[in-house]
Amino acid sequence: MYRGLSIEKLHELLVNKKVTPLELTKEAIELAKKDSNNAFEYIMESEALAIAESLKEPEVNNPLWGIPFVIKDNMSTKDVPTTGSSNILRGYVPVFDATVVAKLKEAHAVPIGKSTLDELAMGGTGTSGHLGTTYNPFDRSHTRLVGGSSCGSAAVTADGIVPFALGSDTGDSTRKPASYAGLVGFKPTWGRISRYGLFPFAPSLDTVGIFTRSVKDCAYVLNATAGRDEKDMTSSVVPVHDYVKDIEKFDKKRKIAVIQEILDTITDKDIKKAFLDNINKLKESGFTVEFVHMDTKMLASLFATYFVISCAEATSNNANLDGIKFGPLSKGDTYEEVMKNARTKGFGELIKRRFIIGSFALMKENKEELFVRAQRNRRAVVDKLNEIYKEYDFIYALAAPSIAPKIGESSDRLSDEYLIADNHLVLGNFAGLPSLTLPLGLKDNMPFGVNVMGKAFDEVGVFQLSYEIEKITGLKDLVAKGEQK
Amino acid sequence: MKEYNIEVLKDAANRLLLDMSESEYQTLLSEFDIVTKQMKAIGDNSELDKIEPMVFPFEIYTSELREDEAKEPLTREEALRNSPRKVGGQIKLPKVVQ
Amino acid sequence: MEFEPVIGLEIHVELKTKSKMFSDAPVVYGKEPNTQVAPLDMAFPGTLPVVNKQAVINAIRVCHALHMSIDQELYFDRKNYFYSDLPKGYQITQDKRPIGKEGYLEIEIDGKVKRIGIERLHMEEDTCKQLHFSTFTLLNYNRAGTPLIEIVSKPEMRSGEEAMKYVERIRSIVVFSGVSDGKMEEGSLRCDVNVSIREKGSNTFGTKVEIKNINSISYIQKAIDFEVERQKKLIESGEKVVQETRRYDDAKKETIRMRLKTDSVDYKYYPEANIIPIRLSDKFVEDAIASCPELAESRKERYIKEYGLNDYDASLLVSEKAISDYYNELTKHSKAYKLLANWVNVDVAGYLNKNNLTIEDFPLSAEKLAGLVSMVEKNEVSSNQAREIFAKMLEENLDAKSAMSKLGISSQISDESYIKEVVEEVLKENPQAIIDYKEGKGRAMGFLVGQVMKKTQGKINPKLTSDMLLEELKKR
Repeated sequence: MYRGLSIEKLHELLVNKKVTPLELTKEAIELAKKDSNNAFEYIMESEALAIAESLKEPEVNNPLWGIPFVIKDNMSTKDVPTTGSSNILRGYVPVFDATVVAKLKEAHAVPIGKSTLDELAMGGTGTSGHLGTTYNPFDRSHTRLVGGSSCGSAAVTADGIVPFALGSDTGDSTRKPASYAGLVGFKPTWGRISRYGLFPFAPSLDTVGIFTRSVKDCAYVLNATAGRDEKDMTSSVVPVHDYVKDIEKFDKKRKIAVIQEILDTITDKDIKKAFLDNINKLKESGFTVEFVHMDTKMLASLFATYFVISCAEATSNNANLDGIKFGPLSKGDTYEEVMKNARTKGFGELIKRRFIIGSFALMKENKEELFVRAQRNRRAVVDKLNEIYKEYDFIYALAAPSIAPKIGESSDRLSDEYLIADNHLVLGNFAGLPSLTLPLGLKDNMPFGVNVMGKAFDEVGVFQLSYEIEKITGLKDLVAKGEQK
Repeated sequence: MKEYNIEVLKDAANRLLLDMSESEYQTLLSEFDIVTKQMKAIGDNSELDKIEPMVFPFEIYTSELREDEAKEPLTREEALRNSPRKVGGQIKLPKVVQ
Repeated sequence: MEFEPVIGLEIHVELKTKSKMFSDAPVVYGKEPNTQVAPLDMAFPGTLPVVNKQAVINAIRVCHALHMSIDQELYFDRKNYFYSDLPKGYQITQDKRPIGKEGYLEIEIDGKVKRIGIERLHMEEDTCKQLHFSTFTLLNYNRAGTPLIEIVSKPEMRSGEEAMKYVERIRSIVVFSGVSDGKMEEGSLRCDVNVSIREKGSNTFGTKVEIKNINSISYIQKAIDFEVERQKKLIESGEKVVQETRRYDDAKKETIRMRLKTDSVDYKYYPEANIIPIRLSDKFVEDAIASCPELAESRKERYIKEYGLNDYDASLLVSEKAISDYYNELTKHSKAYKLLANWVNVDVAGYLNKNNLTIEDFPLSAEKLAGLVSMVEKNEVSSNQAREIFAKMLEENLDAKSAMSKLGISSQISDESYIKEVVEEVLKENPQAIIDYKEGKGRAMGFLVGQVMKKTQGKINPKLTSDMLLEELKKR
């Protein structure tokens, strides 16, 4: 009954006592149990019902009061199993909440489950978690991916099980699946949301991500989660805004840039046309949209640069997973054997390859040519972006070159193609910028989206522009049709 | 840069305390080829060496440090709850030879 | 061929902060295993480091005492390796930008002052404690994350004695500055020594041997002296020194191989991205330095210049911070600086040694002891009486006056006119003694003093008495 409703709508119903948190939670749990997209690691039935039951008097000024949501399973939840979708953390039950989870609990939102991800967030297809592939709800025949690494959170939101879910974004892990699943997928400025409790993949790129089905809903969630955290030294002291308040007040004088060279790599005619039509509509409505240039070679370098930096950081960040302090028991006659057995059995093949590459990149003999070079290129890229941002306030692009790929089509194995169109979202991680994906259209009944990237700490601007684009496309509150199979 | 081959990759894996199947090493080898090739192409730009490596997404500093106050630690039960093997309040390992 | 030893030291100092370097778990010793840990210390996924302000202040104090240039921008790096006692699989340390660089300290050797260069000082964190049994090892994470500073000297020491003095100076600095307990036996000060030898006058370096796990200052000299001899013998017999790690065995009085050093480990250092660069203001650094308690050298100088103590006494007082602190307390209650110094260095020290106590356990407050010493200074009691009183004070933790009355000792009479009266009386009653004295008979003076004592029940100050007798005898 309440499936697919927005936070805004649910809040209205709750405040008017047309529904209780317990009813909402019960329904969400039932839907979760019926999930056939392989989106859940764990359903927090008893925990959620207990919280929902305790919520009696609606808080009029708190839009998240009583709202059910899902947490990507790479965020620490107290007393609830958290696995990172990896066998090496089977059975791991944290003794503390991630700050973002604690904040949402304080806002009386109701966490109902932990969602699947590509193992330890290191993947982009939604296939490498230890429970296998997560399906895209828009394709009920289960032949399409929902992308990754935040596959589960994208699936549950697209399926209408909850109105919002937490993800994470290191290279595009929230913003790309959002495109495949008709969602709003948002990553804030680096440091805007505390990373305490988020399993680290590459701290210099990582952010918490938010999935919703409308731009305004996303702003509500950011309101509850943004801010300085003493437990995270990288969390920002820049003052937080009310991201909803002026969401309708976009200043049309602010300029929007479209990088020509990225657009040129899109081969799907329908999607390209939809984008160009959209740009025209924006222009007709008085928005300033202009094409800018970025060297193709530089765009082509994004992937390898991201890959080397993130794999190197990931290697170090996952060195604590050794089967000693947590994780399933592993045997061995020496401590090395214990660790080696734990890690050999516990990690999937994909991330082992990533770790080895990352480790190689940090070795003395290779560091300069691999890791340091990637770091230099990162600065070159960011410098170029900053040049663009001197004249423009936003960079606008198609979030992905296609609709959700069919299973087997896409692969996490590296390929030789530069795939600019597939990787440009990482610009937002290199420069730590706020970046939001929202739906643009549908093709073959599968959604595809666009991405708005703003200046550091201009989440207000990003929401404002996205809100306008949403009005123009008319696409929001998209829920996958039909019942779960 | 170090020359790499399957042996080198196996050694790197070993130092990371993990192992893979033979076919995975083969996959890895081809991935290495791709990455190193792309990184080399990036390196063809000689201007790059003049650019400072970037660690953080933007220039950022802090002067805030944590006040030196001890807070309530975890209970021993919480600290060791997830450890697969423990004895007498400590984590147990096979004898570590120094 | 003449050889010279080349010795460098790496010293790790555990900081005596309330909480850990990057987590807020307590830094306390002797607690039950795994009861002093925060989630970060167990390396639970998603935990993040937050730098401890006092640890930085402490590091600055030591840098300053070692005349180092202080880097006001703090950067941290990761040192990556796997070991059973390393929870995260990496240690957060400072590789590229240590907080302190290019300093020195001075030691006295062969009557001369020698400067030993110090290359760097950086902050890092400690590992867990391992308890080894015959077939298994137990891990205790209480110590994991404790703040450490590492001080790396230049290889400028040339003997075991120099190294030992260097360590003594470092220990004095870290203890007096309030930064650490500096106890080698407890592991709050750890020394790794690098020893090599080369032909005298040469500029190249011989093969380095590392000596670890030396747990007392005296062993440092012994270990190095043995090692230098061992290396000399090797080379003289045509063999090569092998790069290895050794330990010192005091029972056998020799260094013993622990393991050979294979190719150097690649720690894959790279910047810690969870800690953004920290900028320390000039004021922060100045305050860190100004808030540092007075160091040993400075106190010693003050004792000599302002209190007129000699070098020996002053040195004794600053050999231990707690002793110097106690002495400082004493000087708040009395200005009899030399007397106070003697009492501390002889009587108090004697008591502590005899009862195997440290000054922290000394039962008498500075105020009480100062009270006694003041009385000695004013000649209200004789030195012998004072020692009796001291013993009583200690026995029952009394102040001087109460102890005196319990012992039945009354204040010595020092009134000159009264003493003169008694002396004159005694001289009048003992004319033969005067004659004996004039004739040079040694026992006469003693006899006369004794007579005065008898008349006054020993209440008269003996020194003033003999002075007065001498004066009066001169007149007769």
